[in-house]
Amino acid sequence: MMALVVSLVSSGRRAGVLPPLVLGAAILLLWEVGTRGFGVPSVILPPVSAIAVRMVASHATLWEDFSQTFLKGALSGYIIGCGAGFLLALFSDRVPFLQRGLLQVGNFLAAMPIIGIAPILVMWFGFDWQSKAAVVAVMCFFPMLVNTVQGLAAAGAMQRDLMRTYAASYGQSMTKLRLPAAAPFIFNGLKICTTLALIGAIVAEFFGSPIRGMGFRISTEVGRLNLDMVWAEIVVAALAGSAFYGVITLLERAATFWHPSQRRG
Amino acid sequence: MRTMQSVLIVVGGIMAIWLAAVPFMNIKWEANMASRAGVEVSIPEGGLRRASAVALVFTNPHLIPGTYVQEKPRLPGPQQVVAELWATTAGEAVTSNRSLVYHAGVTLTGTVAGFLFGTALGVLLAVAIVHVRVIDASIMPWVIASQTIPILALAPMIIVVMNSVGITGLVPKAIISAYLSFFPVVVGMVKGLRSPDAMQMDLLKTYNASAAQTFWKLRLPAAAPFLFPSLKIGIAASLVGAIVGELPTGAVAGLGARLLAGSYYGQTVQIWSALFGAAILAAILVGAVGLIQAFALKRMGFAR
Amino acid sequence: MKRLIASTLAGAMVFAGGAAWAQDAVTLQLKWVTQAQFAGYYVAKDKGFYEEENLEVTIKPGGPDIAPEQVIAGGGADVITTWMAAGLAARERGVPLVNIAQPFKTGGLQLTCLKETGVETPEDFAGRTLGVWFFGNEYPFYAWMAKLGLETDGADDNGVTVLKQAFNVDPLLQGQADCISTMTYNEYGQVLDAGYTADDLVNFNYLEQGIGMLEDGLYVLEDSLEDPAFADKMVRFVRASMKGWKYAAENPEEAAQIVVDNDTTGAQTLAHQTYMMSEVAKLTAGSNGALDPADYEQTVATLLSAVSEENPAITTEPEGAWTHMISDQALQ
Repeated sequence: MMALVVSLVSSGRRAGVLPPLVLGAAILLLWEVGTRGFGVPSVILPPVSAIAVRMVASHATLWEDFSQTFLKGALSGYIIGCGAGFLLALFSDRVPFLQRGLLQVGNFLAAMPIIGIAPILVMWFGFDWQSKAAVVAVMCFFPMLVNTVQGLAAAGAMQRDLMRTYAASYGQSMTKLRLPAAAPFIFNGLKICTTLALIGAIVAEFFGSPIRGMGFRISTEVGRLNLDMVWAEIVVAALAGSAFYGVITLLERAATFWHPSQRRG
Repeated sequence: MRTMQSVLIVVGGIMAIWLAAVPFMNIKWEANMASRAGVEVSIPEGGLRRASAVALVFTNPHLIPGTYVQEKPRLPGPQQVVAELWATTAGEAVTSNRSLVYHAGVTLTGTVAGFLFGTALGVLLAVAIVHVRVIDASIMPWVIASQTIPILALAPMIIVVMNSVGITGLVPKAIISAYLSFFPVVVGMVKGLRSPDAMQMDLLKTYNASAAQTFWKLRLPAAAPFLFPSLKIGIAASLVGAIVGELPTGAVAGLGARLLAGSYYGQTVQIWSALFGAAILAAILVGAVGLIQAFALKRMGFAR
Repeated sequence: MKRLIASTLAGAMVFAGGAAWAQDAVTLQLKWVTQAQFAGYYVAKDKGFYEEENLEVTIKPGGPDIAPEQVIAGGGADVITTWMAAGLAARERGVPLVNIAQPFKTGGLQLTCLKETGVETPEDFAGRTLGVWFFGNEYPFYAWMAKLGLETDGADDNGVTVLKQAFNVDPLLQGQADCISTMTYNEYGQVLDAGYTADDLVNFNYLEQGIGMLEDGLYVLEDSLEDPAFADKMVRFVRASMKGWKYAAENPEEAAQIVVDNDTTGAQTLAHQTYMMSEVAKLTAGSNGALDPADYEQTVATLLSAVSEENPAITTEPEGAWTHMISDQALQ
């Protein structure tokens, strides 16, 4: 599983999975030896082996938390937020007069730190995953909007003029030239959102949740000083986030194979 | 000028929606309190909890004015937020801990320190990733994995661990801030440094350019259009990082502490004003990056 | 500014007295943010009681992500305030905390329900949604549910739905929960402030339900007490703190003002802190600072009666989790 994830995200330049695994293993070894050797209290930082044992022992709980936070909260919020950001960028492209205003206001509103929005959205959408999805949607909206608008401006004047000489309609020019030219930017936004989505869903759970979910577990187990469980959840979060990012990267490669930045070695 | 008009129209539209939404969001509480106070309220069958807010508003128009002046509304009216913002900025001395300006200043120092640190780290990492194959292969996956770690869960630990070695105050906050901001910079910069196409790279090869010359004359300039949008996201992320960093430090000072304290006491107006304070701060920061972007890209000949 | 002048004057006086040795530093980590729940310590600091004992005390406010037990384990504090259930749980997890003083005789934790939801007695809980605080504050709740024989994994005829309540009263006001956790001295007042009257509400006080557990006590690491100098510091600290608590109980308005002055967020209001101070005074009333072993026994028995998967506070009888060594000397 891990090897698969790593091979997905390592940018595929004949690298293989060995180097990141070697680096990772070195860090883990240092961690294990350090915590045991210096007698670090396990309520500050448990050794790696204790975390691994905990992950095996509590795999059912970890799965339940994962499906609550990631599959329900983060994923639905990601789709809503990225979709809305993309559509608004397209819409504002048709109404150039509004585009500037929307961008400015969008910038302003999006800069609101989600951490503050979370308690408000929990108040509005209840304690379950819906409020988490709402937080994620708000978080993902902005990078997506900005990147898509930037991308739509990427096609050069010469190319646009060429489309005009072909008498291409707005729609044709959009699908044949401008969206493909924008793809690298759009995927940049999508990638940034993958990590935001997970963090947003977890953070939102700190402000009220049912008694399951990764954020719930992390915050309560810190309070109970079961740091091995906290780290087990963090490992799951890192694995899920990396896999999510890897999937988007694969999609990007399939969609923008022609782009210079995708060149191999 | 046209931008101003456009902004005003958009803001006007949002304000109208906001003002219209206030009664629907707050009507239940208003109806609840009014019926307790003995005011005539028409509540549909099944009680207040199951009643639809829309129906309540239309059957009780006399309650609408009250929804704009509640003390702890679900959705404060714009006028309440503006009044609170005014009272906590113009109405207080800048040095007072009741002044939003003072708290914004506390957050700003953490944000800027974290952003500078995070950007430097991000650019250096990106350059290393593009040029050194071993680093690309071994570090990039961990860079991505690093961002999936919920930093908020780690923030208290970071602070506790730093406390035990005697570091408190700005540094832990800046570290969390840098942690969040270096990532967009790495992603954008790697993309940008790899953006020159084969023809351009070949041209430099025919000039017999060294790797360093290729970097300074082609890769770095080509990366600029990719870097700036990332910097904008990075500075906004830094602000979030600084605010998150203020939560577990025991809510001492800063916009984060302000949000948290507002959330404890259900002071929704205070939460909203702190949010807007943060958004204004972010707008200023993003705007500053935007100015640098406009200037730099113009000088580099990217302007169309 | 006032504080600066006061401390300068005090410093000058000490100096004039020819006793200009360095003061002993003590760092106290609170369980929660700056509020009248901790008035005794702030009063002792502001009124110079610590200084009289030749102590320089740093008070660190807590927050929702701060486990005082973790801070003291990491060396970030010399002494902490926490609830006994969390302190004992930490002890079982390898942080050997010892209770050295117990300023709170009784607890303020309760479950507050809206009458209109139809909850009148604990028998009515089945099928309800209850808001509970976690982060080490959930142990009393799970003990209670175990005692009532209610499942906590979802609402049906023999179980309740548990919500992780943030530290405010919104779930009750917004109708998202039938009952919520409140402290007599804080959140309950917020429900009243919101416009409900005491007649609209039903309170279940944990103490009256027979599952009371000791709240804010002072805890240190066991091995640190072996150092006579540290133990002596703690004796002076407890003595001055209890003096602060006594003063706060006698002068609630002044104590509330001191708390507001010490709140660096600028979010606390004098009205709310005055209310809190008067309620907290009721909880500290029965204690001179020394732990009553009977209260300790009851807390342990309650915890041990409800050991389960969800509630692993403690699994075995703790030993050496409290001492009268400090309080006996401090309160002579």
